[in-house]
Amino acid sequence: MITCTYCGHINRPGLLFCEECGHTLLEGGIDATVPTKKLETSLGEFSARATWGSASVKKISSIVMRIRDVSEPVVLELKDRIVFGRLEPSSPRQPDVDLTPYGALEKGVSRVHAAIERSDDVLTLIDMGSANGTNLNGQRLTPNQPRVLRDGDEIRFGKLIANLYFQI
Amino acid sequence: MSTEKNPYKLLGIPEDASLEDIKAAYRKIARRLHPDVNPNNVAAQAQFQDVSNAHELLTNSSRKAAFDLTLKTKKVDPDGDYFFTFQVVTSKQIVYPLTEPQVIYMLADIHPDPRADEIKQRASHLNLTLVLDQSNSMTGARIERVKVAAHQIIDGMSENDILSVVVFNDRAEIIIPATRVTDKPSLKAKVSLISASGGTEIYQGLSVGMSQVKQYLGPKLVNHIILLTDGHTFGDQDKCLELANKAALDGVGISAMGLGHDWNDKFLDELSSRTGGASSFISSVGSVVKFMNEHVRNLSNSFAERMLLSVATDPDVQLESAFKLSPHPQPLSIEGGNIVLGSLPKNRPISVLLQFQVPPNMPEGQRHFARLVVNGEILANTNPQFYIVRDPLFEISKDTTVKQDPPTSILDALSKLTLYRLQERAQDALDKGDINEATRRLENLATRLFEMGKNDLANEALTEAKRVTMTHQLSTGGRMTIKYQTRHLLANEVPVENTKPVESEKSES
Repeated sequence: MITCTYCGHINRPGLLFCEECGHTLLEGGIDATVPTKKLETSLGEFSARATWGSASVKKISSIVMRIRDVSEPVVLELKDRIVFGRLEPSSPRQPDVDLTPYGALEKGVSRVHAAIERSDDVLTLIDMGSANGTNLNGQRLTPNQPRVLRDGDEIRFGKLIANLYFQI
Repeated sequence: MSTEKNPYKLLGIPEDASLEDIKAAYRKIARRLHPDVNPNNVAAQAQFQDVSNAHELLTNSSRKAAFDLTLKTKKVDPDGDYFFTFQVVTSKQIVYPLTEPQVIYMLADIHPDPRADEIKQRASHLNLTLVLDQSNSMTGARIERVKVAAHQIIDGMSENDILSVVVFNDRAEIIIPATRVTDKPSLKAKVSLISASGGTEIYQGLSVGMSQVKQYLGPKLVNHIILLTDGHTFGDQDKCLELANKAALDGVGISAMGLGHDWNDKFLDELSSRTGGASSFISSVGSVVKFMNEHVRNLSNSFAERMLLSVATDPDVQLESAFKLSPHPQPLSIEGGNIVLGSLPKNRPISVLLQFQVPPNMPEGQRHFARLVVNGEILANTNPQFYIVRDPLFEISKDTTVKQDPPTSILDALSKLTLYRLQERAQDALDKGDINEATRRLENLATRLFEMGKNDLANEALTEAKRVTMTHQLSTGGRMTIKYQTRHLLANEVPVENTKPVESEKSES
């Protein structure tokens, strides 16, 4: 089986393009052609091995989230599902990551906004029907449709912008 | 006509092969093609028959001697008949055995003889039947443009060509019975009298058209029906498809042209692909004349007719799909492994992309997946029958050190074919009522189209994606445009279709 690095669809071996989204399925199509990107700001010891563009999370233990205009990176432990949102004591559903300290309310983050899910060897980002939507690398996500996350991807929750880096 | 086929070529052995070699080669092929292991594979059964005949001939010493003699005398012939070539490239030569099924592609290219362009005098004469929709919806500009097109077609034909014209609504009428094109003014006058009224029953028109084209049916002719319609036919589609099967057997091609947005594209695709014809979408009435003329020109430029690709898969291999990339992009019907390809033009190859599924857990070593035979009638030859056998050999190996990239020709074709499949899948999702899925597939299609720089078409796909979210359906115009333009991407040329409306459609009634 070949997992499409773009949409996560499982394809039969021998296919050359994903049947679901049309992305190339050639091995090394991404890792081999896109060079490692030097991160602009120092992220400490975890920045050294960050590979731009890789979708594989076989060896990943955590994710580093750098929120724009926030100096301290947020380190997320990897688990099956990480929900992003805005903590509100009255709400029945609580997010795993509370974005309130980073101006979530002003930037239009919903209480339950989006989630990162781990499936097989890839991480996917899912918009959970948020009011202001979730963008992945500038592309608006269709609610409840998973998209594969890659190392270095830019995510927008409403107007809150963050980059994700995989950490070994 | 098995006696005309070279038994050595059929068995894939040199002409000085020993009796042992002949028997060994036969056993090897017969094992794969035997009807017992291919109960539903018509192509394999037919090929088995050919190979058995070849074996019979070569193991009978007197018949073999006689054949060898004709072979020798033939070789002295300096004239040299015209031929076509047949090449097959595969997505892999070395296949890593997996525990699950995998996909293999083959790209089959059939090129006309390089000398074909020099055939000055038109070797191919037309036996053409126009089957024209004269239903109410054709009233006004549409029927008038069709008449102009018919006039120009008559002007372009010679007295060696045969023409008939049939019009239909709820019933069919023969405007011009099959005749040689000698008295052009009177033929044109008859066409001028066509007027529009009534409903659309395609079978009526097609069956009468068939009877006309059959009057002059000949091996040296391009026997073809052009069906032009702008509406849906109801209840007689199965009868039409049956008729198409018969037409294919008789060597008659049917091309279908849909005018405007309100016709059944799936049906017309199927109808034409069963006979090796082409189906096209004419979005604006202004391009009717251009389309029809161009089509007839292509027909009269034929090098070989009744091209047939027989794909005999090994019993554990499946042929999943076939798509004609050239000369006219068209999904192909693969029923029974016999793929009707229609005409081979003088100046352009026929190119077909085949998708196979091969089994899991294959033992290491060499093996075949499918035996391909292409048959056709070369119009300029005294003996028109011509065929070539290809049987690509694969290596099943766990050696991963050899890095092999798929041939660029396959990658290139497939990257575009994938887009066509995406719009098909979007349509499938929509038919099942899965709005999210349909939207997502259209958005994916748009993404790929933007990547290719096809911004107009990409925007069309995005617009339709939005429309699907809002209204749960596609606009008919948008659907047709996306379908036929993604198909056209495969043609490797500027789309023939002029998308901007040239003439407004005004009703004269």
